[in-house]
Parts: sequence; structure tokens; C-alpha cells
Amino acid sequence: MSVTKRLYLLLSLLIVAAMVLTACGGGGEEAQEPAGGGEELVATETPSEVVPPAEPKVAVFIFTQEFDSLNPYYTNMWFSEITSSLWDPWAWQFDQDNLPVPVLLAEIPSVANGGVSSDGMQLTMHLRPDLTWSDGEPITSDDFVFTYEMIVDPGNTVATTYPYDPEVESVTAPDETTVVVTFSEPFIPWVANLWHGLLPAHVLRPVFEAEGSIDGAAWNLAPTVGSGPFVFEEWESGSFARFVRNENYWGEAPKLDEIFVRFVPDDAAQINALVAGDGDVGTFFSYSDLDQLEAAGVKIFSVISGFDEGWFFFVGEPGHPALKDVRVRQAIAYAFDRFSLTEDLLLGLTTPAVTFWDMTPPFADPSLEAYPYDPAKAEALLDEAGWIDSNGDGTRDKDGVELVLTYGTTDRDIRIDTQAVAQEQLAAVGIGVELFTYDSDLFFTGFGDGGPVATGEIDIAQYSDSPLFPDADTYYFLCGEIPTEDYPDGGNWQWLCDEDLEALFEEQIYEPDEQARLEMFYQIERIMYDQMYWLGLWRDPDLFGVNERLTNVKISGRTPFYNIVEWDIAP
Amino acid sequence: MTRYILRRMLQAIPLLFIISVVLFVLMMNMGDPLATLGGRRATRPADRERLTRQLGLDKPIYTQYLYWLIGNQWDHFDMDGDGTLESPGVRLGVLRGDFGISLVKRGTPALQVIWERVPNTLLLMIPAEILIVLGALIVGIVSALRQYTLLDHTITTLSFIGFSMPIFFIALLSMYIFAVLFKRWGLPYLPTVGMFDPSVGKTGLQVMWHMVLPLFSLTVISLAGYSRYIRSTMLEVLSQDYIRTAKSKGLPGRRMIMVHALKNASLPLVTIIGLDLPFLLAGALVTESIFAWPGMGRLFIDHLARTDVPVVMGILMIISVAVVVFQLLTDIVYAWLDPRIRYD
Repeated sequence: MSVTKRLYLLLSLLIVAAMVLTACGGGGEEAQEPAGGGEELVATETPSEVVPPAEPKVAVFIFTQEFDSLNPYYTNMWFSEITSSLWDPWAWQFDQDNLPVPVLLAEIPSVANGGVSSDGMQLTMHLRPDLTWSDGEPITSDDFVFTYEMIVDPGNTVATTYPYDPEVESVTAPDETTVVVTFSEPFIPWVANLWHGLLPAHVLRPVFEAEGSIDGAAWNLAPTVGSGPFVFEEWESGSFARFVRNENYWGEAPKLDEIFVRFVPDDAAQINALVAGDGDVGTFFSYSDLDQLEAAGVKIFSVISGFDEGWFFFVGEPGHPALKDVRVRQAIAYAFDRFSLTEDLLLGLTTPAVTFWDMTPPFADPSLEAYPYDPAKAEALLDEAGWIDSNGDGTRDKDGVELVLTYGTTDRDIRIDTQAVAQEQLAAVGIGVELFTYDSDLFFTGFGDGGPVATGEIDIAQYSDSPLFPDADTYYFLCGEIPTEDYPDGGNWQWLCDEDLEALFEEQIYEPDEQARLEMFYQIERIMYDQMYWLGLWRDPDLFGVNERLTNVKISGRTPFYNIVEWDIAP
Repeated sequence: MTRYILRRMLQAIPLLFIISVVLFVLMMNMGDPLATLGGRRATRPADRERLTRQLGLDKPIYTQYLYWLIGNQWDHFDMDGDGTLESPGVRLGVLRGDFGISLVKRGTPALQVIWERVPNTLLLMIPAEILIVLGALIVGIVSALRQYTLLDHTITTLSFIGFSMPIFFIALLSMYIFAVLFKRWGLPYLPTVGMFDPSVGKTGLQVMWHMVLPLFSLTVISLAGYSRYIRSTMLEVLSQDYIRTAKSKGLPGRRMIMVHALKNASLPLVTIIGLDLPFLLAGALVTESIFAWPGMGRLFIDHLARTDVPVVMGILMIISVAVVVFQLLTDIVYAWLDPRIRYD
């Protein structure tokens, strides 16, 4: 046989092999057929004895990031946090209106029911009497005490100790179903910050006693004991995680049998997978992908989660002298057309943010309106502030300093597009802008490591951020948080220190009256708006896409899958 | 030959040491592992301060390198922030097989994090390499034997198209056509992402089925380059005197091509494969990301993005060692292929 004939034979064999593989593997339709024709045949032979098993109801979630840990206190990752509702729900979760709903508690503590002391120093929580872990062990107040002890123990490298250290003085268990939290000072935002998951003392205490730390506990990556409607089954690194129905769940039994989480890091691949039906739930889409998803039967949920995209002006020393003048900051707000930006780049699916609290209702002051696009007013303000183009180079200057600002953000496409638009519009009023983009870990590097935002290397930093949603508290604008050589970890990266703001932020944290506290935030927002310390670009809701075959789905901004037990698959 | 191998292995020690120093210094300047801890917001100042201390990130870079290399059992740490160095170090160091603890999966040894991905990486990369080499041999030989024919021109054109396309484009395009559009058209369609359909389970057939698109993308990209090498070296060898002599002596065509021509034409190919093999361990970064294949490439990029020094250093050092080993193996294969090459 000649070489050519052999090659043809080999090629033919390859084609045949491919066809056989196709036939065996089948397309998605074949693969998703009920467990089979096989059972039906058997049923024909013995109709009275064999009932074909119902196909398991599996919902496939597509996450673009993989968890780093499933121990809720060892992770800052949003994708880890939101799975908590499945297998280790918070003591109370938040509904689609972001209102607290008791889960492990009989009721949400309040002054009216005696759960919150009148001085705001103590929180008394009463647990449901029927709580059990998935292995049948009872959930008691001891689990809460143990969780607190693990968070604040220096042997554990938990992601955050806030607010347990320093806000909480002690957590005690007077009896098996009562937990008492005593604060070191009145702590009003407790509802947004406490008990984001519970650690099983009977599983982790022996590990801690043996090793002095739970860092290396197997439970952190394979929490086979949980308290939610589903229980962890399997996590294959880089590929998937499975949560199956918890047969010992103390609450309403979930209708789904399994939640299968698939990690798909590529955004375009996520969209393709959802459109092809290889996933039921996805999130973090670009607005430009929404049409394609909806056309494929994916329902879009836009939920409020506290995040607003905006510009943080650096007003510290040395910094650019122009940004220390409120008229220049206001001029920038008038010169940048955020209405067109949201209409053109974000397809009109969101609107310009006015305050840092726009997406944290009810804390946004409704009387404030976004600065209009008014380049003439911007130019007048710059003239008034003494920034004029004295050397005819097209950029304004003052005392020999050119009005050229550095403007940095992370490498998300929408941010890079925004930079280009802003550069052009600010140039039209004589403000020069130098653009910088960074990988997010470099962008958010702290002062001690020379981070561009923290050190004031860039004059305008753009990113999306939120207060302690659904509470409005934040430490970003406190004078004491300005980073220094002695305190390199400070979190006030604008180096902003305004005495009026400082007083209001200090006061609100202890204000027990809801309406009075709301008024304080309105005052805070008015100051920030008038002084233009932060320029809102757009409201940044979280987008979820849910395949239409899933029913009874509600999504919350804080605990997205809070009603997961009600989710079902349409027949 | 034994002395040669020993000498090469001894030479590798200072080489790997220098590589490790350079990589470590580069890694330490890649970003801040505590910047966001993978979250949507910057890490709280108090947590940053505490974790910097607990994880030993407050030490000078040379101290951290020493910890990485020889461990930190000789030092003590202030875990509780009271100013007293009360906790002894527990790390053994790379020289004793301890690559450190992952900063992302805190509490998990870096080597374990890496090792979990090795099987899936090889599962994708070895068949890909076999397909690429076999396909390239077939295409290259046919193209060389049929020089300047329509077949040769067609193969050359297709090769250049494949060679010049970015892999992300081929991957996304093939996914869109064979998964999204085929489903829309009611045809049997390929899966988009992952290793198996959860409603069926992780069977061998499912995994093979899910490998089709990633393998296709990897093969199309690399086959083009390889086949061009083979075509040119085959053409060169086929014009040699000894081939002409073999032809005139009436040697069968198959024997002449496979034994006399291909063996001598293989030397450049061995060099390329020798360079490529260590990188099988590194996985395919773009392909794995797009098709959600849980391999080493994705692990590298995910942990690099969070400046997880122990894991990234572990991957890079394993690849460095693999490069050294495979280069040595390549040289040994040279001697087998060409008896004129002697190292002693």
C-alpha cells in the first residue's frame, strides 16, 4: 500500500473515530435526556414494581471566579460569600428589598422586642429551637461563642475581624438558645455586619485545640457539615463545586436537589454557556451582553447592592494644587457629561450617581440632583479660580503649574472607555488629563507598598465602591484613616479631612434613632456634594441572569440567594 | 555519557538558584496580595496590618526569600500584635520540599494546590501534543512530497491562516459555532465549558466529549507551525545525495521516507518538542480559561492575579526544573538520532 493510500486510510479512521465519539457523547440534548430509555424498557417488563426515578433537579451556577475558601471568615470574595445562603446561611439574611429576614433567630432583635438594649450596648439573640447541623448535631449558642472566639483569635488568619474587633467586647451564651453580644461602645450598624456564617464548634474546636489555629482545617475547603438547605458535597479545584440537598435541614425543604457551581473565568465563555443552556445562573455581565442573553431566554435581575462608580479626588499633600480648590472640582463635574456616558456606553440601563449612597437606600438624599453638563459654567468656575491658559498651549495654568491631572483606574473595558470620553470632554474646557490603567491588585495596593491611589500618585481615582451595605457607615472619609508613614494601612486614600464631615461620621455611628441618623447622612451627602469630594459616574447595580426554566427566583442585593429553598425547575 | 549527565545536573544547581532569586524578586513586585483579598473592596486597614504581620509579609524581601528557600523554623513571629515574637516558624523551605502555604487558600500547602491541577493539565495537554505532532508529521510530509502541487498550496494557505489566528479567537469562534449556533440550528452540539455535564456525571466519555473543542483549538494553532518545520526539513533532506542514492538503488519509497529521510529530518523537530514538553506542565492559559478547563494555566493566572507568591513560585520552579530535565533528555535523544554526536 502506498504512503498516500495509508494516509487516506488514517484520515478516514480519524473521521470515523470522531463520528463514533459524536454519536456516543451526544449533543447536549442527548446528554440531558432523562436517565433513560433504559428504565422505560425495564418498566415495560415489570410495570407494577419499577417506577422510573425522577430526574434530579440540578441548577447550574456559572461563577467567573473560583472560591478561595468556603470558611466565611477566611474569604473576602463575593463569590464565596454569596454561596453561604446555600449551606451556611447568615443568622439573618436580606430579602429582595434588602430588609433583614431572620434565619437562625426566632426574630430580629430590636429595642421594641428587648433584643437591643436601650443604650445600644447589648444585643440579645434568641435562636430557633429546632436548629441542627447537617450531621444532626444541634446548633446552639455555643457555636456563636466559638465563631466569635475563632474570628478574634490571633492564631487564625481570618480575612477580617471587623466588627468583632474592636466593636464587640464579648459574646456569651446564657443558655443553649440565647446569645448575648456586648459592644464596647453603642454599635448601630450591627444588622449589616454580624454573623455572616456560623462555624460548627463540634467540628472545628478539636482542630483548634490540637493545632492552635483553624487555618489548616479541612472544613475550610470541604465544609461537609453545614446549617443551610444544601450541604457541601464536592469541590474540584478550578472546575466545579457541588452542594446537594441537606436531608437534615430544619427549615422548609428545598425543591432543587443540587446546586452545581461551575467556574468559568472568561466573560465571553460565560455568556456562550448561558446562551447554549450550559448554565442556569450567571452574574457580572456587561450591559452590551444583555440583549443576547434575553433573546436566549435568560431573565435579567438588576439588584441594588450598595455600589456606585465614581471619581475619588486626591485632595492631600502634595497633590495637584487645583484639586484643593472646590471650584475646580465643581468645574470638573460640570465639564464631564455623565448623562451621555450612561446613555451611550451603558446603553441607558443605569443613570448617573449623585452621592456615594445612591445604591444604599434609604440613605441617599432624594433632594440632590446630579451636576448638569454645563461646560460654559465649568469654564467660568475655572476662570474664577484663576486657572487660565496664559501660555496658549491649550491647557489652563496658574502660577506656572499646568492644569494636567493624572487619572487612573483598573483595566475593566468600561472604565478604559470612560477614561477616553472624560479626557476629550475635560480637554474641551482646558483641563489636561493623563490616563493610567492598572491591574486591580496593583491599583488597590496600600500606602506602605506605594499603591498609586493610596499615595496620591494619581489625582483622580475611578472605581466602584460601597458603604457597609445595607448600612451606610464607612471609614473612607475619616481624618484618622489618612495613611502616613506611621500608619501605612490607613483607608482614606483621598487624604480628605473635613471637620464637619468628621463630626457627622463620628456622631452617626452612635445614633440609635433611625430618622435622626438618616438626616445625618443627608447632611454628609450635602457637604460632599457641595464640596465635590466625590463625583458619581453611574449607579452600579449587580446583574444576574437566570435561565427561564428556573422558577420562584428572587434575588437580593446583599444575600442574593436568600430564597433558594423556593427555587424550582419548570417541568 | 554518565559523566556528561552528572555534569549537566551539577550545572543546573546554580542556574536554578539564580532563576529562583530573579523570579522571587519579580514576584514580590507584582502587586499586593492583601490589596483586596479577591474581594470587591480594598481590604480594611486593620485587617491589612494584622494579616501583613501574621503572614510574615512585613519582613524584608531577602528574609522572605530565605524563609521560602530554607524555611523559618529558626525564627519567631508576633502573631497577636503585642510586640513579642512568641510563635516559632513552621515552614521547612523549598530545599526540604515545602513550597510554603498559599496566600489565597490560606492554610493549604502550595504544592497541594499545584498538584491538584496536574492530572487535568496533562489530560488535556498530552493528547493535544500527540495530535499536534502526528498531525504535523502527516501534513508536513505530504506537503513536502507534493511540493508546489495544489495540495501543497492548500495546506500552506491553511497553515498560515491557523498560525496567524490568536487562540482566543479560534476558541471563542469554535465555541460559538459548534455549541451556540449548532444548538440554535437543532443540530447535535458540543458543550461550551467544563469537563462534564452535571446531569450525566463525570464519565470518561463525558470528559472526552468536553475535550473536543479545547483540543481542536490547541491543535489548529500549533499544528500549523510544526508542519511548516517538518515540510522544510523534509524538503532539505529529500534533496540530499544519500536519498538520491537510496532511490537509485531501488529502495521502497515508504522505507526511504520513514527511515532515511524522516529520521534525519527529525532533529530540528526534536529540539522544538524538547522545548515544548516542559510547558505541557504549564498548561494552556487562554484555552483553559475560555473552556473552563481546570488546568495549571488557569491556576497560574488566578494566583498571579492575587500575588500568591508561594503558588506562583512553585509553578515557575517546577517548570524551570522540567525545562532543565527535558533539555538534557533532548541532548540524549540527539545522540541516539545522530550517531555522529558524542558527548564524552
